[in-house]
Amino acid sequence: MATFGFDERRVLPALRLLPYDRLVLLGGRDSFRAPGFGRLKSLEPSLQAVTVDPFDFGSCLTAACRAFHDARPGDVRASVSGGTKILADATLLAAFQEGVEAWYFDPEPVRLPVLRGVRIHDVLGPADQTVAAILTGPMTAETVLAAAGRRGVGRAHGRRALRRLRAEGFLEARLEGGVPVLRPSPLLKAYRVHLGEAPKG
Amino acid sequence: MAVLFGTLGWRPQSLIPSIRSTEGLERLTFYHSDHAKSRAARARIVEFCRSLGLPATAVELGDAFDLLRIAERIRADVRRERAAGALVRFNIAGGTRLMSSAALLVCILEGIPATYVHDDTLEEVPLPLLRISYGERLTPRQREILALLVKDRERSHTETSLAKALGLHKATMNHHIRELEAKGALVRERDPRDRRALLVRAAPGIELLLG
Repeated sequence: MATFGFDERRVLPALRLLPYDRLVLLGGRDSFRAPGFGRLKSLEPSLQAVTVDPFDFGSCLTAACRAFHDARPGDVRASVSGGTKILADATLLAAFQEGVEAWYFDPEPVRLPVLRGVRIHDVLGPADQTVAAILTGPMTAETVLAAAGRRGVGRAHGRRALRRLRAEGFLEARLEGGVPVLRPSPLLKAYRVHLGEAPKG
Repeated sequence: MAVLFGTLGWRPQSLIPSIRSTEGLERLTFYHSDHAKSRAARARIVEFCRSLGLPATAVELGDAFDLLRIAERIRADVRRERAAGALVRFNIAGGTRLMSSAALLVCILEGIPATYVHDDTLEEVPLPLLRISYGERLTPRQREILALLVKDRERSHTETSLAKALGLHKATMNHHIRELEAKGALVRERDPRDRRALLVRAAPGIELLLG
C-alpha cells in the first residue's frame, strides 16, 4: 500500500524494492486525476485507488486501517513517501497500530520499526472488544452489561472490560440525574475501524 | 507543570496553536532541521515565546532524516521531563516526515497525547493514539536474545551460535527465534558465504522499541 500525491516518482522506488502481488494507492481525488496517476496506472493496470481527504487526519487514518484489514491475511507493507504529510502520518500511525511494516523512500529506503504482535487486538481482549462495540452512544453500565450478557460476556468480565476501557481512555463516565452514564470517548470513535472486524493477519 | 514538545518545519503556524492552547504551559522544547527556512521559523517561535515570557529550547537536528537518532533524542528528552514530574504533550505537525514519524513513534511508546494542526484552518486535531508497550510483550528470554543481537549488531549470529552464547538448547532457541520473527523483532537471512546457514539479526530500530 502506498500513499500517493501527484508525482508517481515518489511511489516507484517502493514498487522496485518492495515485492508485492497487489498495489493499493491512498490519495486525494485530485491526485487520481493527475497525469502521474495515469502513468502509474499504465505500469500497474490492476492497481486499486482508494480516495481520501488528504488534509483530514481522521479520513486518512480510517482509510489506511480499512486497506490494511482488507489486504489481510498475508503480508502487508506500506510506503509513506508520497502524498500530503497528513496522509503519510496517518498511514504511518495505522501501520504502527496494526503492526504493518512501513517504509519511507527519499530516495534511500528507510524501514520504520514494526510494532508487530502488539496491535489493538492484542491490547484489548475479546470481552473488551465486545463491550466497546456495544458502547455506541450514552448508556448506563447496566444497559451495557445486559447487552454484553446477550453476546456471551458474563457480568464479571463485562465489568472488568468497562474498567479496562475507561483506563485506556475509550469511555467517559459522568453522573446524569444521579445515574452514572457511559459514553464512547473520541478515541473509541476513532478506533471503531480497528474494532469492527476480527483480526485476520 | 506542562511541557510542550513539537517538531517544526518551515511554518511557525503549525506550532503556535498548541503553545496557545496548552494549559499551564511552563516550557517549550522543539526540534527543527538546519535548513535556512527552518531556522527562520525557529526564530519566529523563539520570538513568540519571548513575548509570552515562556522559556523555549530549540534543538537543531544534525540530520533531520535519521529517524532512529531523532526518536532516541526525543525519547530521552521526554523521559527527563516526565521524571521531573511534568505533564507532556506533543505537536507533530511540522518538520520532515521522518521527524514527525519519530515523534509519533515516541508518543505511542511513551503514551504521550499528541496533536496535529490543520494546514489551512490551523485547528488542533488530537491524534487517536494508544500506548503500546512493546518491551512488556516479550518474555525475559526473548529480551535476553534481543539484547545480545543488539549488542553484537556487527557480528553474524546463527541460531546455533546464539544457543551456545546463551546456554540454551538449539530447539528452544529455534522456538524463541520464530516467535521474535513473528513479532517483527528480528530477521533471518541466508548467509552469503554458506547458503545452508541462516543468519539472525535484530530488526532495524528494535533498540527503540525495547526502550
